[in-house]
Amino acid sequence: MNTKRLAVLAAAGRNLILTIWAIFALFPILWMVLCTFKLDREMYSTTFFFHPTLDNYVNVLVRTNYFKAFFDNIIVSGGAVILSVLVGVPAAYGFARYNFKSKEFWAGQILGFKFAPEILVVLPLFMIYQKLHLIDTYLGLIWVYQLITMPFLIWVVRGYFEDISLEVEQAAQLDGYSWYQVFLKILLPLVKPGLVAAALLTFIFAWNSFMFPLILSGFSVQTVTVSSLKYLASDTVHYGQMAVAATITVLPEVIMALAIQKHLVRGLSFGAVKG
Amino acid sequence: MANLTLKNVYKRYENSKSTKTKNDYAVKDLSFECVDGEFLGILGPSGCGKTTTLRMIAGLEEITQGEIYIDDTRINDLHPKDRHIGLAFEDYALYPPLSVYGNIAFNLRAKKVSEKEIKKEIMRIAPLMKVDDILDSKPAALSGGQKQRVNIARAIVRKPKLLLLDEPLSHLDGKMRQTLRVEIKRLHKEIQCATVIVTHDQLEAMSLADKILIMKDAELQQFGTPLEVYDDPVNEFVAGFIGEPPMNLMTVKITRSEGEFFFEFPGSEVRVSVPKRYYSVIKDGIRVKLGVRPMDVLIGNENSKANSAKIAVFENLGDERRINIRVGNEYLNLITFEEVRYKPGDYIKLEFNAEKTHLFDIGTGNRINAI
Repeated sequence: MNTKRLAVLAAAGRNLILTIWAIFALFPILWMVLCTFKLDREMYSTTFFFHPTLDNYVNVLVRTNYFKAFFDNIIVSGGAVILSVLVGVPAAYGFARYNFKSKEFWAGQILGFKFAPEILVVLPLFMIYQKLHLIDTYLGLIWVYQLITMPFLIWVVRGYFEDISLEVEQAAQLDGYSWYQVFLKILLPLVKPGLVAAALLTFIFAWNSFMFPLILSGFSVQTVTVSSLKYLASDTVHYGQMAVAATITVLPEVIMALAIQKHLVRGLSFGAVKG
Repeated sequence: MANLTLKNVYKRYENSKSTKTKNDYAVKDLSFECVDGEFLGILGPSGCGKTTTLRMIAGLEEITQGEIYIDDTRINDLHPKDRHIGLAFEDYALYPPLSVYGNIAFNLRAKKVSEKEIKKEIMRIAPLMKVDDILDSKPAALSGGQKQRVNIARAIVRKPKLLLLDEPLSHLDGKMRQTLRVEIKRLHKEIQCATVIVTHDQLEAMSLADKILIMKDAELQQFGTPLEVYDDPVNEFVAGFIGEPPMNLMTVKITRSEGEFFFEFPGSEVRVSVPKRYYSVIKDGIRVKLGVRPMDVLIGNENSKANSAKIAVFENLGDERRINIRVGNEYLNLITFEEVRYKPGDYIKLEFNAEKTHLFDIGTGNRINAI
């Protein structure tokens, strides 16, 4: 009886702490959504009690080219992830299977791209991009986004490949399959959970990117993160409109996070053959 | 159905920083033949080159030097899939995304065999390996024994000319090991295919194989029937490796008195007479390695306390009795089926079965043959 009561108490305590944490973590989102319905003049004077209005939505969705930025963001983030998968998966396989000179050094270098602050590399990149005429193009952004997406993807997928026994590949070879067939039929299904989780997470990283699109782009190709700046006028800040833009921007991420959270935890914490 | 021939095969790992073997050869000058329908066991301690040999036959390792033939075809440069070989991997290497059925069918599908034909083949193989009731399961749901059955089923479904088994029983627990060992033997009788098994367990090799090839440090030690390697080991290594419990191997001194030769055990008064057949090859005062299996150590008449050795441990195992005897600085084991009772501290008179007494050279470890 006593231990049972203790277990109930422990469960209640756990849930209480999690609830507090959830409120703490989600409150900014609630605040942001509330802001979308406020007029600019109510922004500082009240928190929960105001006259709801849809003016901000009308302003953002109809009077500005927000949707263009939204789709631009999908194109560059999606394109970046697709390119990372196409290049990163073979690279991860190479790092997992082949022994070459200074292998760990190069693997560390690739991960090192992720450590470098974006502000550090963005100016030299700006000059290079100008020479190559890549400024303000889809290709330019997709390319530079590889710094964000590729290292992570390679590291996760490499771990998955390393978990697959080499003998499985050899067995398939003995069975008379070419390497590509083995890769498609056996290896790819095994690394899929990790690949999907890493791809979705890197998509979110790319989606949130601000520094690269701000400096290397901004006129004909504009992402939502950068376009939010438009609401900073010289004399005032349109917080309501900015909140609308931000709310719509996080929507895909929230939906994705809710849909994949189980796979995400699983994909990043389990190996290929286990589970 | 085929003969396998290896001719002076070498394997050397280039640019390997860690020299696993002293001479960095994984396999050195290995030649042997396995004729059709024969069951060959490659036996040796880990790192002796036995798995490398198997992988060279399968085509997963390149051959540094020498030639491998299946029948009259030189297979050195053939792709693994063209060698008509079935290989059961040590760690099973099943394809995790596929069901058991899919695993076994994988090879036939590569050959574009019709699904109807595949089904027929699998239905023929499955009962043979007792996997018919798990055909729909995924490998992750199987026990070790079941995985190994699927692994072997996958190797034989392609109707190989040669079946290779890499340590098939090493990851299984005791009982499953025994069951599967019997089944592998039965399977071999049924499919009558030349089979090579690699193992480090001498019991496995002795019970399964028609011929045993013993390797150590990349080199062939002895090649013969189980009885040959058991009764006439060519050197000290083979003598100590084959047999359970292992052969007693002791350094002894040969002494001569009144025209007869005796084994003298260091640190002890005990003397045992040398079998007459060795008289022409030994001299007074030399040291040799004496090898006697526990079953061939005999209990002599207990009339004299002189020449007796002290019992250290006495174990009664029901149908056999194991006695551990201290002779000077060394211990030796004795197994007897006679109804005897001793306690530690008792004295026993030692005798050896003269026919089964082996002598080895101390320096080279090679067997000293009686003339």
